[in-house]
Formats: sequence, structure tokens, C-alpha cells
Amino acid sequence: MTVHNFYMFDRYGQLLFYAEWNRLRQSGITREEEAKLMYGMLFSIKSFVSRISPLDNTSGSREGFHCYRTSKYALHYMETPTGLKLVLNTDNVAVNVHELLKQIYSQVYVEYVVKNPLCNLSEPIKSDLFEAQLDAVVKQSHVFTSKPT
Amino acid sequence: MADEALYEFLHSELVGYVTEKSAKENKKDDLSALEYMGFSSGYRIIERLTKERPRFNDELDTVKFICTDLWSTIYKKQIDNLRTNHQGVYVLHDCAFRFLSKLSSGRQYLESAPKYVAFTCGLIRGALANLGIKCLVTAEVQNMPGCKFHIQVQRS
Amino acid sequence: MSRQGARLDAKKVNSELFTLTYGTLVSQLLKDYENVDEVNKQLERMGYNIGIRLIEDFLARTGSGRCYDFKDTAEKIQAGFRIFLGVSPTISNWGPGGDEFSLIFESNPLTEFVELPDHCLNLKYCNILAGVLRGACEMVQMEVTSWFVQDQLKGDNVTELRVKFIKRLEDAIPAGED
Repeated sequence: MTVHNFYMFDRYGQLLFYAEWNRLRQSGITREEEAKLMYGMLFSIKSFVSRISPLDNTSGSREGFHCYRTSKYALHYMETPTGLKLVLNTDNVAVNVHELLKQIYSQVYVEYVVKNPLCNLSEPIKSDLFEAQLDAVVKQSHVFTSKPT
Repeated sequence: MADEALYEFLHSELVGYVTEKSAKENKKDDLSALEYMGFSSGYRIIERLTKERPRFNDELDTVKFICTDLWSTIYKKQIDNLRTNHQGVYVLHDCAFRFLSKLSSGRQYLESAPKYVAFTCGLIRGALANLGIKCLVTAEVQNMPGCKFHIQVQRS
Repeated sequence: MSRQGARLDAKKVNSELFTLTYGTLVSQLLKDYENVDEVNKQLERMGYNIGIRLIEDFLARTGSGRCYDFKDTAEKIQAGFRIFLGVSPTISNWGPGGDEFSLIFESNPLTEFVELPDHCLNLKYCNILAGVLRGACEMVQMEVTSWFVQDQLKGDNVTELRVKFIKRLEDAIPAGED
């Protein structure tokens, strides 16, 4: 199992942080364009999921979308009530990735960005400590055990 | 404990307020108000911490109390190392000081470190003042989150 | 009491330290500003800065989702007071439209050792709380306003903080979508 890369957006769609581990192929566009595409896709898929839902959707659409899966990789998504969006691409056998996303939010973002007064919450994250902690949490996770074969 | 987070946020607001104000008044990094707020808080909280215990034997005993009981209550760990020249100078080394531990592990943001230790310098000075020891307290940060507090006792 | 006993009291000491530190902040502000209204404003602004961060800690800690309605919001605010200040205000006096309620505090840790001097009668000593609520709610796309209706520091039996819902803030739409 492996983790490929990670995106984090604020509620205005600004890319706050990007990191990659075993990313084998780049998209061929700038990071900025890639982030814009990613955010646009997330936005559309969420509104689609909510519009097409055959069920009574009183709990809102925000928690509605969790992941998509291709034959090669899976994209896992988490959104907090504050509109923070976390995206993790893994191979498609990874399990419990949502737990890892929650852990990144509560043990890395909240601890090292929210509780770091020098980090402005509405700006991209520049803290080295955040980056190091994120790396450690991802690498310690069961999702990140081996390099892709 | 949940209220720890709240105290850290309040402390950050104190820092933010004092630095913004000194910038507005064109006094570059005048942290004296921060130190003073630490002093008043330390002066008063030490009473709560010492009211149930016997008097201290001497100055070193008092400083040790700051390093152990006060530090572990307020800063969630004890001071890692205490040095003294036995002539009124004490150096308290905390390898992972609470108000720096979320900021950096290394030299990033080092220029901001003085703002996040000034309140505590005042707090130590206030606590010791209430226990009858007049001193100056300064802090030295070379590598976050470590911090050395220098206490210089003023004898008259 | 043994030294061990004194150590076990850490929680109480920290809560007192919070109260004392907040007190020194208020007196610093009173020293810095001649005008009490300015002090009230400054306290509210600091509360806002705390609120926008505290909400993330609250969410991470509780795992709560979005609020279903304003009743749900009221209960979550109540839970927040329990978690962060160790007090449980009562929710009461709902407005007829369901968009307004009061938090009633029998005791308030912020004011434990405080007496207002006569020249500060207009001081909203706990105004930081109004700011915290505004900041925290704004982060979950809700605009609220709050104000003190009763205040124990001014001789009332309880402290009453009135909270009013203003509007829901919408999500930003990415460029090129509708």
C-alpha cells in the first residue's frame, strides 16, 4: 500500500499545502493549475452528489463525498465543518484512509498550524514543523508501508 | 487538558496585542508590557502554588521549586537542567518550552522567539519577587523549541 | 497537605492562572486606552482571533459535523464552554423565531477574583467571549452577534449572554462555475 500525494485547500479554494511521496507521474501543468482543477472537480462532484442523491439529504451534502477509485489509484477526501478540504491520493488497496485524514487534521494541522500563532490561517502553510510532522504521520501510517511495485 | 489550548491562544493574543501596539507607536519590539503582564500573573499565581507548603530553606531551594512544581504545573514538564554559580545566577534550560513547541523545531521563525518568552520571563520574576527574591530574568533561544532562562538575583 | 497533594491541584491552578492572566490583560488595556468602549472593542477583537482558531480545536476534539439548526449550534456552544472553561451555561429564553437564545452563567471563571472599580461601569469585562463566539461561528459559515444582558459584576444574580443568528455565509464558488 502507498500514499502518493496530498492537497489541502481552505474554504475559499486556496491551496494551503501540497506534499508528495510516491508520485510516479506529474500532470504536466503547473501546481497552481493542477490545484485549480482539483478544487473545481471537488466542488462539482460535491454538488453533483448532493443533487443526484435519491435520499432525503437533510444532513447536507458536505459529508456526502468520500472517495473515488480508478483501476490504479484512489482519491480520498475529507472536509471539516470549517470548510477545510483534505485530499489524499493512495493506491487503490489502501484501507481506512479516512482515519489518516482525520489524524492529519487533528494532530498535524490543528496542533502545528492552528496553534502556531505565526501561521496565518488564510495563507499557504510555510511552517517547516508542520511539513515535518505531516511527513512523519503519513510515513508512520499503515497506509504507507511499501513503495508501489 | 482542554483549557491548555485556550491558555495558549490567550497568550498569543497578549503577544499579538503588545507587538502590534509597539509597532504602531514606532517603538520597535517593546515587550515591556508583556513582561509586566507576566510579572503580575506570576506574582499572584505563586501564592496559590505555595500556600500549602512550608517555607523555603534558601534561594536555591526556591529556584528549584520554580523548576519543578511551578514549571510542571504551568509548562507541563519540569526544567531539564538547572545551573548556578552559587552567586545569584541561575540558568534554567527547558528543551521544549511550551510556548515555542508549536512554532518550530530549529531556526525557522527564530526572530519571533523573544516575543513568546517575554511573558514567562516576567512570570518567573513575579513569582520570585513574591517569595522575597528580587531579580532580573532574561531568556535566550538558539534552537527552538529550547529556551534558557537566566535569573540574576539582585542583592542590595 | 503534602507536596503531592499540591501537585494534584494543577488543573485548578491553571484555571486560576487563566483568570489572573486575563485580568492583567484587561487592566493593561484600561491603562492603554482612556476610553472604556475602546477596551470593550479590543477585547471583542481578541476574542474573535481566538475563536477562529479555537473552533478547529473544538472540531478536532469532538469530531462534530455541521450544525443542523440553530438549536444544535446552541448545544455545541454550550459544549464548548464545558470543554474549554469548565462551565455549563444553561440555554434559555429562545426568541419566537428560534434565532436568538441566552446563555445563563451561574458562575463565570473569568470573573472569579474581580471587582469592577466605579469608573469602569461601562466595561464589558467578559467581552472576549462575545468575540470568541463570533469568530468560531463565522468559521462554520454562520454570522452571529452576542451581547451581555445581565452581568454578575454589575450586581445581577447571573451573567446572561444573548446570542443572535444573523445569516448563513455561503461557500466560495470556484471561478468558472455557477
